[in-house]
Amino acid sequence: MVERKIKTVYDVVCPFCGTLCDDLEVDVNIGDQEVIEVRNACQIGTAKFYSSNPSEHRYTKPLIRKDGKLEEVSWDEAIEKTAEILVNSTRPLLYGFASTECDAQGKGVELAEILGGVLDNTASVCHGPTLLAEQDVGVPSSTLGEYKNRADLVIFWGSNPVHAHPRHLGRYSEFVRGYFKKDGRNDRVVVVVDPRNTHTAQIADLYIQVNPNEDYELMNAMRALLRGVEINEKEISGVPIEGIKKLVEIVKGCNYGVIFFGMGLTQSLAHHRNIDTAICLTRELNDHTKFLITPMRGHYNISGANTVFTWNTGYGYSIDFSRGYPRYNPGEYSSVDLLMRDEIDASFIVASDPASNFPADSVKNMFKHPLIAIEPHETPTSAFADVVLPPAIAGIECEGTAYRMDHVPLRLRKVKDAPKECLTDAEIIERIIEKAKELKGE
Amino acid sequence: MSLNDLRLLTGRTINQGIALEGGKTTKENVRAAAICMFDKEDFKKLDCLVGTPVKVSTDHGHVTVYSTISEEGPHPGIIFIPMGPWANQVVNPDSQSCGTPTFKGMKAKVELAEGAKVMDALELIKQLKEA
Repeated sequence: MVERKIKTVYDVVCPFCGTLCDDLEVDVNIGDQEVIEVRNACQIGTAKFYSSNPSEHRYTKPLIRKDGKLEEVSWDEAIEKTAEILVNSTRPLLYGFASTECDAQGKGVELAEILGGVLDNTASVCHGPTLLAEQDVGVPSSTLGEYKNRADLVIFWGSNPVHAHPRHLGRYSEFVRGYFKKDGRNDRVVVVVDPRNTHTAQIADLYIQVNPNEDYELMNAMRALLRGVEINEKEISGVPIEGIKKLVEIVKGCNYGVIFFGMGLTQSLAHHRNIDTAICLTRELNDHTKFLITPMRGHYNISGANTVFTWNTGYGYSIDFSRGYPRYNPGEYSSVDLLMRDEIDASFIVASDPASNFPADSVKNMFKHPLIAIEPHETPTSAFADVVLPPAIAGIECEGTAYRMDHVPLRLRKVKDAPKECLTDAEIIERIIEKAKELKGE
Repeated sequence: MSLNDLRLLTGRTINQGIALEGGKTTKENVRAAAICMFDKEDFKKLDCLVGTPVKVSTDHGHVTVYSTISEEGPHPGIIFIPMGPWANQVVNPDSQSCGTPTFKGMKAKVELAEGAKVMDALELIKQLKEA
């Protein structure tokens, strides 16, 4: 029997969702650098750590498409090919960045500026409307620790953390015992507003079933009732008026309330206007009690991508450098809209899978032009890419910084070595920057 | 048999999340994300066994996925496909000028497609590459 030497890495930050759980313990076989056990993580986080082990889906060497097939090449050749494609394109799209660490995101901004390209991150297809609304009306928000210790009313609106942020309920919002909420679940009232009776709704105290695409009307009805306006309707958005009045009494009567909202508001009709209204409702509730609001961010470092892009360019996503300085206009410079108009002539994808996650017509247009993917695993994007650059997985095979959904930065840990030839995302982009400068004669 | 006047929602499920970390090109991902979840009473109207392929159509496209009964019901008139390449064949790409497509709330209709092939992720995306 082969003897295995195991090391355990403690307090590991999970690089899956925006909850950024920081209490994981990971056992690694020192000899072959394989993850053999993950404790404290949710099922998805555990799967992510195991996905770093060698498999037929893991890329370990740079690949370039030659005669229709991806073939192994040297890093020098792959970097040169990448730089050539990007420098020779007139309107390259640099997209992704949410599932990598902040250093790589900063390098991405630098590359976009050198190329005069369009820079975007995955907020473009998830919480972009949240950023727009926050720019419109501000946001009364807090860190998750405050909610854990103080909140006695938690509303999940259009979000289903049992599936999307599995440990959020146990760490911050529902079952956890807080400093002032010592009895955990019994000290909190939990309300879920959603068109489906989700698993989160099934363990809530009150479930409000709203019609799809009609959250805007429901929130404005609540705002009207809060101001003492009588509504002469039997129901709004499929919710009986008595149910809305009951909900308004609950939110007015709490000591410290919080709304966690998700894609149910940002990806349905009205988009950022839903969030505008949710924030205005929260603000107006502060005339009666303490109320705050926080978006349930999906990718683990999408808050970081917005933050890094903002401190570099002034804008969180959908940034166009074609005039040499950053311009911002979601709807015009956002990835899906650009691709739908077929404006892009090369795509550079970092730690993301737009072929899976963008609407079909935009993917068709993306595939018309050269495609480069920095991606550790085979995905529908990388499988059809022209160049694949295999990175070390941030938060598992290299360190870095990531921002939690409440904008608290946490240091990611390295628990194991990457496959021999893999470089970090930041190193790869740095090498592309050097080559692009050389080709441009800078 | 078919159902009209449905609303299609898409979103994360934990099985879809596990499958994508386990390998986006695997059969597990097909089982987790190439499915359409029906309200229990709506499903009875289809008069088929769980797992029978169905063709889901919206104004923006169509896709064939496996049928199943939702654990997160009742939600009469609403169908749910987990986020991923299958859902994205039928979502509304219009972002109303805010950047984010309308992934939720499309009008949809469903027809039984017994014997039809449910493609895996690479087969499905290859169609877009070759379009």
